[in-house]
Amino acid sequence: MIKILKQHYEIEEKSRRLFKIHIKKEEFLKTLNFIGLNSNFITLSQITCTDWIEDEVFTLNYILTTEQRDKNLMIALSIPREGKESKLPTLLYLFPQAEVMERDLHEMYGIEFIGNKTLFDFALENWNTTPPLRREFDTLAYVNEQFDFRKGREDNRDVKVETKRRRAEAKKLKAKKEVKK
Amino acid sequence: MQEEGFIDYQKVLNNEEHAIKGTQSAIQKAVDWFRSKSMFVLAYGTGCGAIEMPPTFTSRYDIERIGVVGVATPRQADILIVSGYCSYKTLKRVIRSYEQMNEPKYIIALGSCTINGGMYWDSYNTIKRLEDYLPVDIYVNGCMPRPEALIEGFVKLQKNIREASKEAGYIKYRENNKFYKENQKKIFGENIEPSYEADFNGMG
Repeated sequence: MIKILKQHYEIEEKSRRLFKIHIKKEEFLKTLNFIGLNSNFITLSQITCTDWIEDEVFTLNYILTTEQRDKNLMIALSIPREGKESKLPTLLYLFPQAEVMERDLHEMYGIEFIGNKTLFDFALENWNTTPPLRREFDTLAYVNEQFDFRKGREDNRDVKVETKRRRAEAKKLKAKKEVKK
Repeated sequence: MQEEGFIDYQKVLNNEEHAIKGTQSAIQKAVDWFRSKSMFVLAYGTGCGAIEMPPTFTSRYDIERIGVVGVATPRQADILIVSGYCSYKTLKRVIRSYEQMNEPKYIIALGSCTINGGMYWDSYNTIKRLEDYLPVDIYVNGCMPRPEALIEGFVKLQKNIREASKEAGYIKYRENNKFYKENQKKIFGENIEPSYEADFNGMG
């Protein structure tokens, strides 16, 4: 199967069971249609996303698996982080399981999928600010603003300093005992 | 010397002087004793603490011997165990379940996450202190606490109920309802569910 695909695409062999294709955004539907309908890779097992904020792109990996579950094919493409070009067409008609994955990506990264009607709250409810897995989202600042932390005990001590002190004390005791002997 | 739990309350009821000494009246004392011996726990688990509950309730630790039983719905339950971290989405359901329970009701918070966030201290959608949103009667710390620790928590709660030594959580929730609702609103915004107050007037 890989041999046939090699006639059409440049396939990078990552390992014995893992293959990768790099495509452009314009070829996205054409490629997935071709592979989904004409090859043995019939299951969409994952859609992963990486936020490359320095290059201002998201890199999406569509991971397909064969019927025998013995080979994986990664289809990688980059889309801009913001603007009109950042939208992608949905894969619902090819792989129905894409619904949940796209919904998750929409919630965590804010990526729009044209044609998917379920892009509303999923795991987060009533989330108004930046999607939390985008790298410009400052988690610590958000947490400090949103929550009050419990103050520690008044007599609490630094753990590192305290362990050092106790070890030194134990050493001294040991040395004293040895001198007595 | 009498063993704990086997005090002759008939004597206490007859002797009024003795009863007035404490904060409870004689009858209230008797009622509280019975109450502490029959605690119905809502079968509900949040987070990883739910894993520790099955051994607590089944034959290995058999908590039924001290009068703790699991029940299916909030209407029948007296005790809610918040067993671990609470995300926003879970907290909404926990509050709803708690408000539907009939008074008197108590909360046991299990694990470090309910005390100060635990390992989720910098998570964007996990609450840090449960007591801001719901009144907690007993904290059991640890990550995760063993069933023995949970049983100790139950025994301590029984003692608190029996002696009325601490103000019960449901009274706090009723009296400081504004405080709790404000904190809940901070998280949920305007999408908060309507509060369920039928129980406050003894109608629940």
